[in-house]
Amino acid sequence: MKWRKWLRILHRDIGYLATALTVIYAISGVAVNHVGDWNPNYRIEKVIIELDSIPSNYEKEEMVKYILSEIGETREVKNSFRPDPNRLDIFVEGNTITVNYETCEVTQEKVVPRPIIRETNFLHLNAPKKVWTYVADLFAVALAFLAISGLFMIKGKNGITGRGAWLTALGLIIPIVFLLLYYYY
Amino acid sequence: MKKLILSVLVIFLMANVVSAKDKKYGATLTLKEKTKISDIYANPQKYVGKKVLVEGMLLDVCAKRGCWVELSSDKEFQKIRVKVNDGEIIFPMEAKGKTGLFEGMIQEIKLTKEQAIERAEHHAEEQGTKFDPSTITEGTTLYQIKGLGAVIKD
Repeated sequence: MKWRKWLRILHRDIGYLATALTVIYAISGVAVNHVGDWNPNYRIEKVIIELDSIPSNYEKEEMVKYILSEIGETREVKNSFRPDPNRLDIFVEGNTITVNYETCEVTQEKVVPRPIIRETNFLHLNAPKKVWTYVADLFAVALAFLAISGLFMIKGKNGITGRGAWLTALGLIIPIVFLLLYYYY
Repeated sequence: MKKLILSVLVIFLMANVVSAKDKKYGATLTLKEKTKISDIYANPQKYVGKKVLVEGMLLDVCAKRGCWVELSSDKEFQKIRVKVNDGEIIFPMEAKGKTGLFEGMIQEIKLTKEQAIERAEHHAEEQGTKFDPSTITEGTTLYQIKGLGAVIKD
């Protein structure tokens, strides 16, 4: 039974190595699973201020200064653009300001990244690509090894020939049932 | 074992120090000559199905998946969308207001009135904005870039 001893050693050490990534992928998994209900990467705050009037004779740069002083935004302007005749977009670090000339509404969209969750999503969704792709592939292989080696860790009535067989079969039935329900019908 | 872990950490820290200022996304840019976005709109049929390299300011970014950006044209009141396959490239929202180079294929999308409303509704839902369906009265033809690669300047 030497092979079982080695299996346990490998399962233990690969398990240690995979712990951090498993937790990272688990957090991100839940976060992106509910992407329809919330934004898993950013908290977006929208503030709308209605000005009494907007000067009609200002050039774009003058208008940018005027709007920023009206809303009390002091940070440096990154850029500005008029996407249509009734709109001016002003970009400040962490704040996008949209001016509607027709309604005199100034909308501020403040984007705050969600700490930790955003970083877990960055890795889980393989945004970095490059070498991370292979790290993630290795992790997938490690997970498969942990799953399969786990089946043969112990002998006896609680092993794969007893209780283990039933629970493994149940684990297999769950995706099959959902596939039959949602994919084939 | 401690030495191994420390060595790995040092290598990762050094790799971060030499990171470039401009951020690359997706495939490496292959074209050298830039096409003006206004030229694409002036004669879209000339460009449909062709690969172009355009430069513009990022006016908007897909808030949920980072799967599209809207680029300013070289002319006021014009913009173009760059759409990438979901998950292939993820553009960060912090890139709004920055300028970038984008390479991709020009696509023509013909929409019926219903499809145009559905598309605008989906966009509004994604961005958390309001949309009034009565503003769309007929079908339309859109031009967008199927993005393959980009470099966003810091």
